[in-house]
Amino acid sequence: MFDYYLRLALCRCRQNVPMMLLLVLTMAIGIASCMTAMTIFRALSGAPLPGVSPYLHVATMDAREAVDKDNPDYKRPDSLLKLADAKALVDAHRAVQQVAVAQSLTRLGNPDGDTSSQAYGLMAYGPALQTFGVPLRYGRPWTEAEQSSNAPVVVIDTHVAQKLFGTDDAVGRSVTLGQRSFRVIGVIAPWAPRMQIFNLGQNAGGVTGQDENFFVPAQASLDAGVGPFTSGECGKDAPVVSFQSATVAQCRWMETWVRLGTRAQVDAYDRFLAGYANAQHDAGRFAYPPQATLYGTQAWMTLNHVVPDDVHLNLILAGGFLLLCLVNVAGLLAARFLRRQGDVAIRRALGASKRDVFMQHLVETGLLGLAGGVLALPLTWLGLWIVHMQPVSYADAARFSPDTFVVLFALSVAVGLLVGILPAWRVCRQPPALQIKIA
Amino acid sequence: MEIRPILASLRKHRIPTVLIVLEIALTCAVLCNAVFMIGQRVAAIRLPNAIDERNLSMVTLGGTDEKTSGSDIPRNLAALRGIPGVQSAAVVSTLPLSHNNWGWSFGTRPDASTFDKKTVNFSLFFLGEGAEQALGLRLLEGRFFNADDYAGSSFGSAPLPETHVTLVTRSVAERLWPGQSALGKTYYSMPHYYTVVGVVADVLRPNIGSQGEDWSYYSAFFPLSAGGSKGNLRRYVLHSAPGDRGRVMRAAEQKLAALNPNGVTKGMLYTDMRDQYFADMRSMAWMLVLVCAVMLAVTAFGIVGLTSFWVGQRRRQIGIRRAVGASRGHIMQYFQTENFLLSGAGVVLGMALAYGINLYLMRHYETASMPWYYLPVSAVALWALGQLAVLGPALRAAAVPPVVATRSV
Repeated sequence: MFDYYLRLALCRCRQNVPMMLLLVLTMAIGIASCMTAMTIFRALSGAPLPGVSPYLHVATMDAREAVDKDNPDYKRPDSLLKLADAKALVDAHRAVQQVAVAQSLTRLGNPDGDTSSQAYGLMAYGPALQTFGVPLRYGRPWTEAEQSSNAPVVVIDTHVAQKLFGTDDAVGRSVTLGQRSFRVIGVIAPWAPRMQIFNLGQNAGGVTGQDENFFVPAQASLDAGVGPFTSGECGKDAPVVSFQSATVAQCRWMETWVRLGTRAQVDAYDRFLAGYANAQHDAGRFAYPPQATLYGTQAWMTLNHVVPDDVHLNLILAGGFLLLCLVNVAGLLAARFLRRQGDVAIRRALGASKRDVFMQHLVETGLLGLAGGVLALPLTWLGLWIVHMQPVSYADAARFSPDTFVVLFALSVAVGLLVGILPAWRVCRQPPALQIKIA
Repeated sequence: MEIRPILASLRKHRIPTVLIVLEIALTCAVLCNAVFMIGQRVAAIRLPNAIDERNLSMVTLGGTDEKTSGSDIPRNLAALRGIPGVQSAAVVSTLPLSHNNWGWSFGTRPDASTFDKKTVNFSLFFLGEGAEQALGLRLLEGRFFNADDYAGSSFGSAPLPETHVTLVTRSVAERLWPGQSALGKTYYSMPHYYTVVGVVADVLRPNIGSQGEDWSYYSAFFPLSAGGSKGNLRRYVLHSAPGDRGRVMRAAEQKLAALNPNGVTKGMLYTDMRDQYFADMRSMAWMLVLVCAVMLAVTAFGIVGLTSFWVGQRRRQIGIRRAVGASRGHIMQYFQTENFLLSGAGVVLGMALAYGINLYLMRHYETASMPWYYLPVSAVALWALGQLAVLGPALRAAAVPPVVATRSV
């Protein structure tokens, strides 16, 4: 029966080609706009570090050491800590893994001084590679002994290794970082979080994550004169700190990230964090009640609006647009089906049940939906390509992925059936006798 | 025109009627909000900025030793001024729309400190010698900084420069001293104080927010000597003819990189930076325009399709009406009135929906309240669209000859 309905539907589509084109095109445009917005939204709402970030948490507290009348209420949670506090939290070893990091931008050179490469990287206190799950290609991460002795060691990525040494395996070589020479102890594959997660408080509109070309122990880096990219929050009486300065002793510039497995571990760490912060407040260091809180990666990103409002607005808009297209198609389908009341009445009179008629019409709209989906595929691709060409912060997220295809297929069939239900129901409700008489 | 027969007929076609009303309502609601969002973005993108935007290119130099900046900066500037095509060159701390903001709050009373609630937050721009000309600031009153102002200004241990002269924008002058001349007036942030020596036309802040248009222009300028800049003068600005900018910028990057082997240089045209600042807004605005256009087309085609169906279905009735004396005009009027009623219902529903969506967006996103006139304007627009869409089918209906009534279809 199904293939008979299918042939019937095809035959009817051929009867009124302009109408059919209008229906299919309307559905295709609706589906394509929705798919474009949804693809971008999905790309920006997944885990920034798959498999790792669901277990990562960032510590926040009001760690200001002086009264600050510009912002007395601590309106937004603040993740920046002084190096001393970050060290204390990391050294306590209360989480499964913990590290304090800050973003840096500097120039890495080879020992001859003839090649250099501008590089973003993370200054870290603690096992950064292990905590963030950064895969090592060659060598090893730094040890606690190297960290505590401020040994000049560095882990670089293959991109920098290729540029400076012409080989991936640069373990054992030396690179110049600031005013010192650092020994390469490990090489990682190019690594970036899918979205910005570091230093979100001072993030100026970045959405997709930054490639981290090197990892270096924080104190060794400061000793070499290389400081964080942004100096964070320095007290109002602190000496002026400029861009990338290494004189950050009075500044809060490090973020502490911890890896916690279970709910119980999270709760326990939350208590530990609050205890630490309150102790500092009681000792008179922190000027305000610290309100220490642990944020999961996702919650932290939401709180800091990493995904721009535009992406949400686009999704709402595209949803509204799809709805409009659906209503429109449903109206046209109702007209189309009602025009054939005579045929339906004859089928009913010859013994077809309401259910049969309903099914027949649903097969037809399902087919139209599928055709709309097929047409929506190139349109979605076009939409994503257009967004990708735009100079917007989230352009990188506009990529066609295979799972988009599955979603699109499901969506188009669902759309086809959904728009057909009302008109199909309307047409099979007609009493056959009356219709035959009219016809 | 009698509308009761129309209503009676619509009651017989409930599903298509409901769908068409719903469609117009949805279009109205989405259209209102989309057009409003376009308007807000266009207004932001077009904000004027009183510097020579089209003549500026810049190179940021990072990673140099700030202790030797007293000799490095003059050396770098001399090299930059030697590039053919450079009309003037200077170094500054930040630029409008650069995202690199240094804000501080000041008051007009001598005991004002940055902790007071009544103070006004400005963006601070530190200028190296000659930056007024290089940027192309437009002086409205008073004077620019002189050589003594520059020589006498430096950073000490405080985050404010040790000088007593400043330039402010017109918006700052109006905000601090409404209705008076700002020249010679002083603003304070304990223990620093600055006297206004000149007022310049409005220059945008490095970051503009949603706090209103005036707020976007709260900028103040301070002189800063190269030696006392403590690493805060890192953006080299080059003024050249618009056609020379690209070449000048590349040459400047090379020169600065050659002079500062440890430095990190990054060049950019000012107009590119401004475009980048507004890139998200611009592409969003275009996308909204596209969506509006397609949406209107979809709605119009929907109306055409449904009305055509009704015309086809009622050929006999139309023929009968014609046969008993109705003119072509009457038939046209029938369909136009019908569409007018449907659009009316849709628009009323749509305006309520539009208002609801606006309230929702205001609660969850940085959206302003939609001015009331958007509602009637979009209502009229949709009414017009409906009448236009129904014109074709109505004409076809009017062309039905009375003789149809005598045939059995």
